[in-house]
Amino acid sequence: MNKRQTRQFAIWSTVAASVVFLILTLDTHRQVPVLTGEITPEVTRGKDVWHEHNCINCHTLFGEGAYYAPDLTKITQHRGEAYLKAFIRDPSNFYDEQQHRRLMPKQDIPDEDIDALIAFLDWVSKVDNQGWPPRPILVTGATIPGTALSTAQLTHVDDHAAPPGARPVAAGNDPIALGEHVFRTATPSCTACHSIAPGVDMAGPSLSGLSGRTEQLLGGPDYKGAATDLASFIRESITEPSAHVTPGPMFSANGVSFMPDTYGKDLTPEQIDQLVAYLSTLR
Amino acid sequence: MRYRSQSVAYWYFALAMILFGLQLVFGLLSAAKYLGPDPLLNVLPFDVTKTIHTNLLIVWVLTGFMGATYWMVPDESRTELYSTKLAYIQLILFALMGVTAIIGYLFRYGTGNKLLEQPLPHKLVIVVCMLIFLYNIGMTIRKSGRFTATEGVLLGGLGLAAILYLPALLEYENYTISIFYRWWTIHLWVEGVWEMIQAGFLAYLLIRLSGADREVMEKWLYVIVGLVFIAGILGTAHHYYWVGVPGYWLPIGGLFSALEPVALVGMAIYAYSAIRRSGLAHPNKLALHWAVGSAVFTMFGAGLLGLAHTFPSINKWTHGTMITAMHGHAAFYGAYAMIVLAMISFAMPSLTRGRTEEGTSLGYWSFWLQLGGMFGMTLAFATAGIGQVYLERVLGLGYLDAQLKIQVHFVMLVICASIFAVGVAMFIIDFFRYAPSFETTREPEPEGQRLAAAPRA
Repeated sequence: MNKRQTRQFAIWSTVAASVVFLILTLDTHRQVPVLTGEITPEVTRGKDVWHEHNCINCHTLFGEGAYYAPDLTKITQHRGEAYLKAFIRDPSNFYDEQQHRRLMPKQDIPDEDIDALIAFLDWVSKVDNQGWPPRPILVTGATIPGTALSTAQLTHVDDHAAPPGARPVAAGNDPIALGEHVFRTATPSCTACHSIAPGVDMAGPSLSGLSGRTEQLLGGPDYKGAATDLASFIRESITEPSAHVTPGPMFSANGVSFMPDTYGKDLTPEQIDQLVAYLSTLR
Repeated sequence: MRYRSQSVAYWYFALAMILFGLQLVFGLLSAAKYLGPDPLLNVLPFDVTKTIHTNLLIVWVLTGFMGATYWMVPDESRTELYSTKLAYIQLILFALMGVTAIIGYLFRYGTGNKLLEQPLPHKLVIVVCMLIFLYNIGMTIRKSGRFTATEGVLLGGLGLAAILYLPALLEYENYTISIFYRWWTIHLWVEGVWEMIQAGFLAYLLIRLSGADREVMEKWLYVIVGLVFIAGILGTAHHYYWVGVPGYWLPIGGLFSALEPVALVGMAIYAYSAIRRSGLAHPNKLALHWAVGSAVFTMFGAGLLGLAHTFPSINKWTHGTMITAMHGHAAFYGAYAMIVLAMISFAMPSLTRGRTEEGTSLGYWSFWLQLGGMFGMTLAFATAGIGQVYLERVLGLGYLDAQLKIQVHFVMLVICASIFAVGVAMFIIDFFRYAPSFETTREPEPEGQRLAAAPRA
């Protein structure tokens, strides 16, 4: 290619790409009103409030903005209007800067503007945006069991400044709740091998539907074990894993279960009681 | 310096240096806020420091582009500028616009529209400055009757940059539509016409510094421009993921964004092969460091790190996290900061008294500290981003809790940013420590100039 030909290449490839882009732009204008839904005057006012307070330079909407504060695309689906209003009036009632290392400054927004802002955020949450985010983006807490308390919250369990959601497991709780805690925190952790989701066999079988299955087993003609009721059956399974073996070469060999037989001495009798109480609830 | 009027470039560069320094102050402040708690929470909150940080970037880079153009066009067209007076008026207007905008942001006087926060009067001043600038450059070239392909690409880029700013002047009822047009300005600037500007400067520098053959360099320059636009224009689609526009932008974005690195890899090969084959060794090795460094860092930051999160199936998870900051910092620095620093390094020996042509040792320290610092910052953003995506987006840990778990990466960010800032401070000191002096010399045309482009009417 000589210089003239490469110039032609530069010009025509630019023109071709621009033409395609402009056609798609026209089509986007045609489709966006349907995808984004109705814009009321209140939504428009809310958009202005959003801009006036420079919200986008900390937060993101549709994942666009700054990364210093949580994404708010679906916030009105996670938090009710009353909560959002109270939060915007004074964020420091909800989060502690010492614990979270950052805090939203108070904005002094008039109440009717707060209403408009929430209307705008609600409009955003209903925009058809190809289903993003694929999983809810939370502000605090977690969807993973065992991480419901953040590190900061766990280290401040005795602190009265702990945020409202922080409720660590305490001795006075229901035995079932305490048992669930033991299930996650015993050494080795029960969760390392057992899922409570149906059909999820890990190193150990799924415990989903445990009590129903056991009751059926206890009432059946082939049962020869010592335990006579659900609670004693579960207790025995914890302390003497080989007493009741789930069939299958991945769970036992020569009648000896692969499950550690150390729980009987490593857990206190109370902890075993709690664990039994919890596991009995898995129907 | 062959033409007296090229001296206007010095004052543009000086303003660019001051604003660059300020940009880092606000960048470091913003980074420190990630470590928290923030003693300035109610005085200078994050949204303000971040707005100023990004706006100063745009203003200083544009100032650098204008200065570098005022330096380059007389050289290319072999004539004095049409009007130095217009150039100074434009500089003063632009400086006033920049300074008042920054002061305004401190008081939250801005549009609150990401990257386009400039209030309407300021936007209009920007347009006026661009028009003065294009008029002045256009008349200079017209007067000389000599219009090279390198200039053509540069001017095309600057003209389109002005046109693409126009959608930013309007307000849109629908938030999704305003996002749509934000990227007409920002994306088509940085991944379209600004790359034309960068490629124009790069071609100029490589022709001067390496003595590479002008015909060959300009031929490949056109190829690069073509590739930039094939991928860049439709690549805008990667900003249209998940914002409420039709779904066909997803596959288009995936495909054309994947092509974007082609032009950038081409640019890096172009720079490298030019210095490998050069017949003439220009003494200004420091400017050569910056020029080739710009091409290579662009390939890494804009090309590779852009590609890392541009496919819709990946972007679904990484969208709106520190991964974006990783790409943004490396891309902007490599493509635009470094090319301006290259032009400044090239021009400075003839704009100041007592400076060696080879570049000072402070200049080399500055180059390597900046490069190392920015590379470390990029890695800090990347590691923070990977942690964030995994904890927050994949596992579902809350945003605030995930941020606490990636604090160590923010410590790394602040350390690397400080190293970078030291490098920049050295560049600024090196810039100002020699007094300006505007003596013209009539040195013989370098080797590569003999095969000059034919004059066009």
